[in-house]
Amino acid sequence: MSKIAENHSKKTVELFLDDEKAPVTILVVDDSRVVRTYLQSHLQKEGYQVIEAKNGKEAIELLSDDIGIILLDLWMPEMDGMSCLRYIRENFPDIPTIMLTVSNEVSNAVEAMKYGAFDYVTKPFNPSELLALVQQAIRTRIQARRLRRMEDELLKAREHEITIASRIQQTLLLGGRPKNLKGMKIGDLTIASKKIDGDFYDFFMVNDTCLDVIVGDVMGKGIPAALMGAAAKQHFMGALFRMARVSEAEELPSPEEIVSEVHEEMIGRMNELETFFTLCYARFDTARKLVSYVDCGHMRTIHYHSDTGTCTLLQGVDMPLGFPGQKGFKQVLVPFTDGDLFFFYSDGLTEAKNPKCEFYGEKRLTDFVRGHAFLEPQDLCRAAWKDIVEFSQTESFSDDFTCVAVKIEIPEPEERYNQEWKLEVPSDLGELGRVRSLIRDMCKGLGSNLVDDEKIKMIQIVATEIMTNIIKHAYQGKPGETIAIEGKTSRDEIILYFYDWGIEFDFASAPKPVFDGSREDGFGLHIIAHTADYVRYSRDSSGKNCACVTFFLQRRE
Amino acid sequence: MKLLTENIDGIVVISSLPKVLDASNAMEFKEGVFKIIEQSSQAVFDMSAVQFIDSAGCGSLITTLRRLKEAGGTLKLCDVPKQVRSVLELVRMHKIIDIYNTREEALRSFTVEH
Repeated sequence: MSKIAENHSKKTVELFLDDEKAPVTILVVDDSRVVRTYLQSHLQKEGYQVIEAKNGKEAIELLSDDIGIILLDLWMPEMDGMSCLRYIRENFPDIPTIMLTVSNEVSNAVEAMKYGAFDYVTKPFNPSELLALVQQAIRTRIQARRLRRMEDELLKAREHEITIASRIQQTLLLGGRPKNLKGMKIGDLTIASKKIDGDFYDFFMVNDTCLDVIVGDVMGKGIPAALMGAAAKQHFMGALFRMARVSEAEELPSPEEIVSEVHEEMIGRMNELETFFTLCYARFDTARKLVSYVDCGHMRTIHYHSDTGTCTLLQGVDMPLGFPGQKGFKQVLVPFTDGDLFFFYSDGLTEAKNPKCEFYGEKRLTDFVRGHAFLEPQDLCRAAWKDIVEFSQTESFSDDFTCVAVKIEIPEPEERYNQEWKLEVPSDLGELGRVRSLIRDMCKGLGSNLVDDEKIKMIQIVATEIMTNIIKHAYQGKPGETIAIEGKTSRDEIILYFYDWGIEFDFASAPKPVFDGSREDGFGLHIIAHTADYVRYSRDSSGKNCACVTFFLQRRE
Repeated sequence: MKLLTENIDGIVVISSLPKVLDASNAMEFKEGVFKIIEQSSQAVFDMSAVQFIDSAGCGSLITTLRRLKEAGGTLKLCDVPKQVRSVLELVRMHKIIDIYNTREEALRSFTVEH
């Protein structure tokens, strides 16, 4: 390759900022038309695009990211070179700026370089020196641009990673609320400040009456904190399982034993990683109506007392997990009554700030919980979030936002369900409506959760069929005879007894149903057998017949 | 028992069935229906008013169907409330009586067949 050709190819590389863009644009800023024309002709000859400005003000209007480099005169009317340079450095720091100066003002040019000018040239210009400097500036510009692009890509990749991690956390790491809780209701809400957080919580139904709730907050944010939280949860689950098995006794490992065990397991690694987490481990025992908890520097749990309508704050005595020198953990026992509520939360709630830089604070939160304890736990969590958003006037908090509410349910008195009903009617088909009304009244008392309209209709049909059989067959259509009906309801079932003193019911002689449309009777027994859950016929020694039908109720949540 | 009827192109439509169709009124219902179907062998019962039916009520429908078939016609039901329908299905009547969602569908089915 000849020297000229080599020179040329080298130049073309540096003519373009990006692969597919027009040649590099150079902004020339000088109040002298002669200087501008001189520079323009030299630069254009080399293949650059040139745009001109007479002073700093004009230059600022022309500025954009598409400009490759700037040649800037120091002395100009209407905003001089120094002020213009300052503006460029602030708004377009990637665009190299070469100062143009006269030889007796070099000290000013040096001053300009302190402010971030790329270099300076003195007038009158040496064309080859100027071009060399321009090329060097353009190379710098291209590299800066590449770097910026790589940074952007890196940022995008990182954001993508965090999104995936956040999804994993939301779906796998945060504890799912246990189903079939007896006597308790749970609400939870977590919103991460950087999409993924160091707050963690989990629920373990350790036996029929005990629910363990773990709420923790790992120092720091982002993926490392979330991983630490996940690791902590795994350790707790492992410890709980292992200790429950080893003990083999009926007795469960206590919260303090579990926390000690986990601390023992994790302390070495945590010291290496220089991290720690605050924690509250609480066991709700609905049989003993007692919560036993270990608090390791976590936010003070709010305990709302339903009987007095007041709140107390639960605070333990232990340091966060991961602090060296910690020996043994102490659990605290607190009794609760039906209707009480416990509100666990991270510092993201109390440390949310309003525009005046005031904290939301523990008192405000406690007042809010007291005023809204009537809500369902899940609704309470959402309401607390709304209140804090309203207070801070933003939805993006600087810290992770996590809260868990546990409400002790007020058991409904069994008497409401355990009722007995009695009715006597004459053997007359005209009484069927009255019997159906009785059944409707019985079912209404149980509530539509236990018996819906459809179920009521089916029970009514069975009663109608039994009544009809008694009137038509036991009493042979004879009016004025007595039929006694008794009903018993409970949470689990409805039982109906129909008594008569007529002819004994004989299964063998009852017609079997025919479904081809050739017969119109015989369906009654079929309906009874396929609608009631249990049917029993009997006759006592005094000649009293009894048809007893049972309907099981399944509670629907 | 008052039964409102319409005659649409030779098909009898009974639209005012009693709310309750059980052993206490099945006989009376049958007698009323039999009188009406003397004029036509094709009938549609609009069941929308029926809230409760028992085996005797089902029986009265089957007897009606048998009568109409003997006279060369048939019985169709329309607009059957869900809970009534589940009783009809319990005694498998949906297999022997055609059930339509609307009166129009039931009426149209006659013209398709003929």
